[in-house]
Amino acid sequence: MPSRQRLWPIHVILAVGAAAMVAPFLWQLITSLQTTGETTSVPPHFLPSWQWSNYSQVFHDTKFAQQFLNSVSQTVIRVLAQVLFCSMAAYAFARLRFPGRNALFMLMLAVLMVPSQVYLLPQYQLVQNMGLLNTLAGVVLPGLFSAFGTFMLRQFFMSLPNEVEEAARLDGAGTFRIFWSVMLPLAKPGLISMGVLTVLWSWNDLLWPLVVVNDDSKMPLTVGLSTLQGEHLTEYPLLMAGSLLASLPMILVFLAAQRRITEGIALTGTK
Amino acid sequence: MFRKALVLAGVGALALAATGCSSSKSASSGQADSGPVTLTYGIWDAKQKPAMQEIADAFHTAHPNITIDIQLTPNADYWTKLQTAAASGTAPDVFWMNTPRVGLYAGQHQLLSLSDKPGFDNSPFPKALNDSYTLDGKQYGMPKDFDTVGLWFNKKLFDAAGVKYPTAGWTWQDVISAAQKLNDPSKGVWGIASPDWTQENLFNTMLQAGGQAITPDHKKSGFDDPKSLAGLQYALDFITKYHVSPTAQQMTDTQPDQLFASGKVAMFADGDYDMPEYKAAAGLDADVAPLPAGPDGKKATVINGLANVIYAKTKHPQAAWEFVQYLGSKEANEIQAKTGTVIPAYNGLSATWVASTPQYHLQSFIDQLDVAVPYPVSKNTAAWTTPMQTTLDQIWGGKVDLTTGAKQIAAQMNAELAKE
Repeated sequence: MPSRQRLWPIHVILAVGAAAMVAPFLWQLITSLQTTGETTSVPPHFLPSWQWSNYSQVFHDTKFAQQFLNSVSQTVIRVLAQVLFCSMAAYAFARLRFPGRNALFMLMLAVLMVPSQVYLLPQYQLVQNMGLLNTLAGVVLPGLFSAFGTFMLRQFFMSLPNEVEEAARLDGAGTFRIFWSVMLPLAKPGLISMGVLTVLWSWNDLLWPLVVVNDDSKMPLTVGLSTLQGEHLTEYPLLMAGSLLASLPMILVFLAAQRRITEGIALTGTK
Repeated sequence: MFRKALVLAGVGALALAATGCSSSKSASSGQADSGPVTLTYGIWDAKQKPAMQEIADAFHTAHPNITIDIQLTPNADYWTKLQTAAASGTAPDVFWMNTPRVGLYAGQHQLLSLSDKPGFDNSPFPKALNDSYTLDGKQYGMPKDFDTVGLWFNKKLFDAAGVKYPTAGWTWQDVISAAQKLNDPSKGVWGIASPDWTQENLFNTMLQAGGQAITPDHKKSGFDDPKSLAGLQYALDFITKYHVSPTAQQMTDTQPDQLFASGKVAMFADGDYDMPEYKAAAGLDADVAPLPAGPDGKKATVINGLANVIYAKTKHPQAAWEFVQYLGSKEANEIQAKTGTVIPAYNGLSATWVASTPQYHLQSFIDQLDVAVPYPVSKNTAAWTTPMQTTLDQIWGGKVDLTTGAKQIAAQMNAELAKE
């Protein structure tokens, strides 16, 4: 074990890194307590004039509570669906043998290579044909499944030992039984990591709900807050107060599931 | 902000064209709507929503069977959403349009021609605005508001330097000498800010020099005109010759309007739309004068403005037309004027807007209507504004010399205009 003396440079580096990570949040907090004039002044004001009313103003200017609920339902539905569907597809790709498996898998991976803006229009028209524009169903539908989640869980299933599965098969378990009662419980760390990443993605998703939803009572928080931006003048204190409130649940998720998130990232080598 | 939005328009143009959403006349134009109707109304500015709501409510009172549902999308994403919806046949029945994009949307048959509507009257609006929304002889937009550019100045800095405030009689030379007297590097104060912004700065200086950004028939670039070049040179000289303006780099780090609002810059040519920002700036004692005249005494500002348009595939063309007619009425423009956010397009209502913020001589913006020139557009404006801005950025950043750069812009612009 290295001695305390040799650890201090590492501590200095980590402290600088931590400060760099926390600074944007701190700046956000300071901005949220300023007047609009203070936020754009040069040189910047570091001490806010403590405009706590900005926070109540956010609730007045947007349907914050309703949009918070929308964000929560959008996220819960997407996470549950993705965990279920992606794990089933991932298990099939990892363990079942069927013709065209690799070709199908490559096709699915190809989805990961295409930027989402490209299929915005066709996806919109599909949802429109189903009559789901401006509904929660329309918002969540394309996010019930993800190529990324499937890829991530496939890698996880492939790392599990074959012996467990063989033992179950000898005991007379069918494929679904093996998947559901044996493999899924073993994949719990992977499922949690994937779930957490999905929560973060869904909570921050802006473009799709923005395009699909028109009523402010059906918007998630990301879209609702973006309507606070004016064409020539944006009240940054309000925007920052709203964003801070909106990111609180995610900060809590991160604190609670810190280890899983780092594991998840380490597991896939991607974000 | 407007400049960034322009860049995105290019992408929009592509998608709109790619989906082949042309043709399609409205299903039932002329038919009267029976029963209650809800019209969607797409807008992009949160600051103007209260005024728009008031107008919508007043319209509903007069037309109880038509309800207006206002859909606010922030400016940055408005065009992404509109282009997706327009390509899929689900755009709002009535929505805001701006001058650089009207050519594209009208050209793709996404808008109903207002000229075909019985009772359409564009006489209450400035001619320059009507022209901006007219394509091949048909007008597609009911002018909503307009903006011109004025010379904002910081009274405190002028007083401290003992310089007289700008007046309507000022020329370029007056601005240069004032900027030199006001410039005080020891206090971190610049005489003027002269960024490569087009609507606020360069389009105007080119006009004042007797040049132009585009020919009036929208067929040729004006950037290779020696007079246009003189206008660009005047704006650039503040940085490179007189050293009285922050550099392009400094104005990228901190926007010039923020520098002005913070009292770091004594003069800044800016649109009336940034007035709320200056009003909110603590400790800023500013006012505004008309833009100065060029070397031959020519005065000019570009005029730009929004319009209300009707979606070609609306299911309620008759109700939409009634609403757009109301939006273009004196009554609706009065409501806009009172809020003080924008200058209503309706002639003669500017006094209400001017009176809404008595601490500034907002009349300066109105007085320039006589010398106002339409904001330069063509059928596919974004196709040439994006490369134009890139080259201007290079000139202002000192990477390309002005004469070469202007020639390059003219060549690119002419190539794009030839495709229209």
